[in-house]
Amino acid sequence: MNRQEAQEILLLYRPGRADEDNPELIEALDLVKHDPELAKWFETHCALHHAISAKFKQIDVPAGLKEQILSERKIPSVILWWRRPAVLAAATGVVLLAGLASLWLRPVPRDSFPAFRQWMVRTALRTYTMGLETNDLNQIRAYLAQRSTPADYVLPQSLEKAKGTGCDAMHWHGHGVSMVCFRSGKPLGPGEKSDLFLFVIDRSSVPGAPAGDPPQFTKVNKLMTASWTLGNKVYLLAGNGDEEFLRKFR
Amino acid sequence: MTSELDFAGVVSSYYQSLYQFAFSLTRSEADACDLTQQTFYVLVTKGHQMRDVSKVKTWLFTTLYREFLESRRRQTRFPHFELSQVAAELPTVTPTVVNQLDAPLVIQALTQVEEIYQAPLAMFYLEDCSYKDIADILGVPIGTVKSRMSRGIAQLQRCLAVTAASASKSSGEED
Repeated sequence: MNRQEAQEILLLYRPGRADEDNPELIEALDLVKHDPELAKWFETHCALHHAISAKFKQIDVPAGLKEQILSERKIPSVILWWRRPAVLAAATGVVLLAGLASLWLRPVPRDSFPAFRQWMVRTALRTYTMGLETNDLNQIRAYLAQRSTPADYVLPQSLEKAKGTGCDAMHWHGHGVSMVCFRSGKPLGPGEKSDLFLFVIDRSSVPGAPAGDPPQFTKVNKLMTASWTLGNKVYLLAGNGDEEFLRKFR
Repeated sequence: MTSELDFAGVVSSYYQSLYQFAFSLTRSEADACDLTQQTFYVLVTKGHQMRDVSKVKTWLFTTLYREFLESRRRQTRFPHFELSQVAAELPTVTPTVVNQLDAPLVIQALTQVEEIYQAPLAMFYLEDCSYKDIADILGVPIGTVKSRMSRGIAQLQRCLAVTAASASKSSGEED
């Protein structure tokens, strides 16, 4: 092994981590002991690795993220008991109990309200596009009606006065969802066209939605959400701010 | 006899490293939070399909990476910068220079590395995963991981040299 070959191997060496015990690495490390120039290069490499690695590890994790993750979870634990052969064998002898247990322990349905809320927040934060861009709320209703997503929604008075920016007709698990976008009046970030998003879906499409008014406020990711049910519709309002900010539009 | 994955324990153990990995990929706090939350959401809804609970860390990183790739397919918010020819001619960055850089600048330099190298590099420097884990997460052979890392490290060091030179110039202009 020559110096260049050793450098290629050592480039992937992470000081303090037992990544692998392969013979090539051992040989390269041995060469470091006998080649002063390689040793100097290796010392710089380790220092550089430490420096860059430290910068990556300095990425601050937002306060409250852990609590948010835990609060979004609706079942007590991820059950893996049926993978145990002994339990599986016992379960075959107690069919009725197993049936009941499967009802108790089934995972959160993907069409539940928390799943709906999380998906819509993700949409607002990352992927939404407006099929229609207009300030005219009547045009927005007409556009949504043409696409068979909820158009007979009732806007809160304060939201009626906010500046609409557009809308989109979306689908979630085969059910129509209307997204109506607004501007709250706060300065928008670069490239942003809206900072308030109202999602409307038929009540029957989302099990577990809030039973009625007043709204439930929940922080999901970076957005505050307000959810309520009125008539046969479930409403989800999402915006970048705290509860007090969102209350102004509800 | 019931075997359960301790969800709260898993969150405590991995949410920070998952967030840091997500942030390295997206450079956006909101997107990184979103990816981290989505990863644990998938754990809740699909975790019962996991064959080996001891692999939960690799499973989580794999899930987060797949969610990231999926989100990339749906949008084009993250610009990719090509390395300039000038960058290739710059000297390698020194540890002292890196130490003087702010962490966000170092993470920003990662955006200038070819996209295929970004995820392996982030995991390489975050040091949460072994090479075997990284290979499993990316779904490529370990040899491919190593070759991507080698090229990625070289590119990142050149990018850091450019970043440092640029930061130094800005600082000089302010003075």
